[in-house]
Amino acid sequence: MQEKPSAGTMADIIGGTKPTVQSEFIQFDKFTALVIDDMGAMRHALSSQLEWMGITSVKGVSNAEEALRQLEIRQFDLILCDYNLNRASSGQHFLEFLRNENMLSAKTIFVMVTAEAEYAYVANAAEFAPDDYILKPCPEKKLRARLERLFDRRNFLMPALTAMDAKDYARVVSECDKLLALDSIDRWQMAALRLKAEAQHALNDVENMLATYQQALAKNDNVPWVKIGFARAQRMSGDLEAAEQSAREIIASHPSYVAAYELLADIRLELGDEEGAHEMATRAAEILPTAKRFRTTAESAFLLGKLDEAKQFSESAIKLSNGSITEKPDDFLALAQIQTDLGDPLGAIHTLEKSARKYAEKDEFGISKNAILAQAYFDSGDEDKAKKLLERSQRLITPDNNTSAAMNRLGKAALKLGDEILGLKLMTQAVQASGKERHRIARHVSKSMHDTGRHDKVHDVIDAGQRRILVLVDEAHKLMRDARFEDAFSKVNEALAIHDENIEALLAAAQLHLLWLKKDGMDEEIDARAKQYLATLDKLVPQNEKVMAFYRFYNQLSGA
Amino acid sequence: MKQALSTLVIHDIKNSLALLEADLEQLNHHPNMPEEARKAYQRCSELKGRLVSFLTLYKHEQFGLKPNLAEVDLNEFLQDTLDVSPSASGKHGHEFALEVDESRIRIAPGLKHGGTAQLDEYLTGMAIESALNNAVRYAAGNVRVWFEQDAETVTFFVQDDGPGLHHPSGNAPSTGVGLALCKVVVEAHGGGDVSLSDAQDGGALFRLALQTA
Repeated sequence: MQEKPSAGTMADIIGGTKPTVQSEFIQFDKFTALVIDDMGAMRHALSSQLEWMGITSVKGVSNAEEALRQLEIRQFDLILCDYNLNRASSGQHFLEFLRNENMLSAKTIFVMVTAEAEYAYVANAAEFAPDDYILKPCPEKKLRARLERLFDRRNFLMPALTAMDAKDYARVVSECDKLLALDSIDRWQMAALRLKAEAQHALNDVENMLATYQQALAKNDNVPWVKIGFARAQRMSGDLEAAEQSAREIIASHPSYVAAYELLADIRLELGDEEGAHEMATRAAEILPTAKRFRTTAESAFLLGKLDEAKQFSESAIKLSNGSITEKPDDFLALAQIQTDLGDPLGAIHTLEKSARKYAEKDEFGISKNAILAQAYFDSGDEDKAKKLLERSQRLITPDNNTSAAMNRLGKAALKLGDEILGLKLMTQAVQASGKERHRIARHVSKSMHDTGRHDKVHDVIDAGQRRILVLVDEAHKLMRDARFEDAFSKVNEALAIHDENIEALLAAAQLHLLWLKKDGMDEEIDARAKQYLATLDKLVPQNEKVMAFYRFYNQLSGA
Repeated sequence: MKQALSTLVIHDIKNSLALLEADLEQLNHHPNMPEEARKAYQRCSELKGRLVSFLTLYKHEQFGLKPNLAEVDLNEFLQDTLDVSPSASGKHGHEFALEVDESRIRIAPGLKHGGTAQLDEYLTGMAIESALNNAVRYAAGNVRVWFEQDAETVTFFVQDDGPGLHHPSGNAPSTGVGLALCKVVVEAHGGGDVSLSDAQDGGALFRLALQTA
């Protein structure tokens, strides 16, 4: 082979132009691998190929459920996953599930194995792309060449990936900066930028996250993940208009890129355009149907009062997830509530008593199930049974399972059966326990109250949550004065659980932690929380006098 | 035979061939395996390759091909294509060189991502493999592969040192399926050109230009 004129750069040495030389640096015998393929012969062939390369620990499984059980026990260096996984979940669904549930180590290399180019459509639509695609059957030489390259890249990124797994995001950023200062090939640089931006996202460091994506855009402005990352950062910075513009540009150039539709849906919702948000979520579900996406569209249709549509989406979610890893008992509750509201109480009763029979009647599910059944039996004319179900539902409540969703359903049942006091109390509880979900829960509560003719009380119920925050903040202040910091902390936490971005509660929390640090010295955990509260406040109310004063106080304390 | 049935049968054959190929690959990893086993593996790979090419043509006629574009490092891609090419195993045991000629690679100056391009790796690999297959058949001692890139196009070249097109024993202008396949690949990339000609310095020159912008 003739010398390449530019030979000698790091890219040429480790960049993958001479696979035979490289392989000496990759020690395959240290790796563990998981092969997922429903066809025994293919699984065997892939496993053998990996073994020929020297990988001694190869586990073969035939479906996503078995793979999941393996992943619950340990992480693998390499996953080879067949695209056509027999069951409801394709390899792409499985990968999305793993990423959503944070079940993959940042170090794991995920390779999708497909029969032919049939995956192309899905591959282009998905945000969570695997590290590589391989067309089967893939000769060993080719598989080895691909894997060597992937492991090379992993080695390059290793310090940052290790920090990522440890959730030490500040270190991810500093390690990525070190890598970016090296002279390496473009795609590795892009991978380092991606990791860096993800870490900045986790740190809520919006300004630097925007800068990182801009750097990536300057390198290559036609990669969907860069564009969507930039659009998300714009949204986080509060510039909804620019974020929407960016998302629409992605759709113009990559019309089947689902994540762009989902981002648009979030933006529309934030702008108060529920109809527009629903439309975008529906497009996403059409392009890449998953149970999760159908759940989203079923909910948005339900909240918009489009019950027939909601029913269809809800049934699709159940059908798609049935018997697979994405199955959720909640889907049956959602469907039964829709059926009840559609005036089909018998359908709802069938859904809960027959289809959802396999789920244990306890906790949140039990509360909701009995609450919806109470509504359905009431509508079908059996008021006695309805009352008994309402009581049974209440008996299942414990301090650990009284979630907003369950309280809303139970509240709706109480209102329907005419127990206004209980109903309003439960609705208020639903709002107060909603935390980060407060917008969503407020929409549900408001709908339940409209449906049962209590629209005049909606504001009272939603406002009661805010009043409760003020009472809690007041109590926290009293406890602070007595230096009862732990007790004060539990009060502000309770307030933040109602609304995690309530300014009064956040100010109280910040003040409490500064006093705490002053009294007890620079405790690491308290210090971290103090910084977190200050950062959140700084984002919500920039240049606020009180917050600036807190910052000065903090700098004095920490000696900065 | 009904069309649906023949589709079913042909896919079944393809899948069986793939399994047979995997079995033969296994066999090749046994110690002391006879030369026949290697040949059988090579033949099987070639046969499967031809069937897949044919299926690709068929699919294109029936439904049109949607390219799966991804960023490809062109040098790595050519190297990979040669590494895994069944044609690389040579003909009738005689030694010859099949390599990427890096001295001929040309990238227009000022390209933002010189050396990489948005291509369907799978389809492009198939087209180049069909050219390799042809070149190896007529080559005396070596086959060279390289690419040129400008703002709108990537052009791949395959040159052999055989007698060339205008010699009685020279290259037939590709096999029917091979050329048709290349045309389909060009079309899937939204434009370009494919040709086979006599090279100035002897032998036959295959040229596949793909539009990338």
